[in-house]
Amino acid sequence: MGKIMIINGSPRAPKSNSKRYAEIFSKYCVVETEYFNLTKKNHLELCSKMNEFTDVLFVFPLYADSLPVGFLNFLKVLEANPPAHKPVVSILINCGFLEYQQNEVAVRMMKVFCKQNGYSLGSILMLGSGEAILDGPFKFIAVRKIRQLARTFANGNYRVLHSTMPLPKKLFLKASTSYWINYGKRFGTTKEQMQTMKIEE
Amino acid sequence: MKLILSDKPLNVSVPQDGEIRYFDLSALKIANCMGCFGCWTKTPGKCVIRDDATKVYPCIASSEKVLYVSKVKYGGYDTVMKTMLERAIPVQQAFIRIHNGETHHVQRAVVPKQATIVAYGDISDEEKDIFRQLVARNASNMSFTDYEIIFTTEAMLDDMVKKTLQKWEK
Repeated sequence: MGKIMIINGSPRAPKSNSKRYAEIFSKYCVVETEYFNLTKKNHLELCSKMNEFTDVLFVFPLYADSLPVGFLNFLKVLEANPPAHKPVVSILINCGFLEYQQNEVAVRMMKVFCKQNGYSLGSILMLGSGEAILDGPFKFIAVRKIRQLARTFANGNYRVLHSTMPLPKKLFLKASTSYWINYGKRFGTTKEQMQTMKIEE
Repeated sequence: MKLILSDKPLNVSVPQDGEIRYFDLSALKIANCMGCFGCWTKTPGKCVIRDDATKVYPCIASSEKVLYVSKVKYGGYDTVMKTMLERAIPVQQAFIRIHNGETHHVQRAVVPKQATIVAYGDISDEEKDIFRQLVARNASNMSFTDYEIIFTTEAMLDDMVKKTLQKWEK
């Protein structure tokens, strides 16, 4: 039986949705897992630690249409400091848009990283619909998919999976608008203030 | 206004008529986006990190022509340019709209723009293909009305930038 290193590549790793996805993964995965937040200072430590694992699961959000820059930096450090025994690389990516397909560029970039650096590619899970999915009625959809992802590690049958909220675009707009209005309320910011067209004024 | 963002110093003479703004991003102090959503929900339109990025993203928003010069890594922008592009999200709202049949963020006062991307480095065909897909995605999220991608080597970079500037003068 192998051992899975989970690396959270979100810029706000300790408070991120990616962390919650990672926790769900660990809960349902029969293979032993160990979780790490990516920080600015632990890149070399994680590269070295990777020797102890058969698999690595990178969990991260889509940022400006591709990989978050902190995570990109880590991949460059990993390229320069590869582990002696390269684990199989799997990906759990999430984006704030309804279309999980908007994650495809980031996934293709990860494939290039694996190809250029001699890593085998494992499973891929692309999630759409963003922050709100874990706090609403569609949580079960994300959980079910992450559970499926976890199963692929148990049987070594790596797969490409995807999921999003089963909503028409217009309803998703309504749901996301109400999510962000409530988010702004935490800081005393109104919808109208959030809708300002001004930039740095 | 026209804008040049480069991830390295360019050996190019930029007209000093005030019409073109040029930023060598490698010379600026720009931290990584923390993903705090402050620019959407706490101080809308303003990043909570008060570094050099706050001078750059208003220029991105107000330019009708942009020239981005970036090294390519794994088929995407390398870290210097990517850091700035992530820090430019105050030009968007948290709210979502349907644009070109997909869900995307609502833009604040962002001028629709023509973009030229000079992508340099030792770039494989696969990486070029990914980069094209990436810029097509950027077009939806960064208000590009049209765009051109020029792949080149680092040695040819200045020449390619000069050609773009000549086109801008016409």
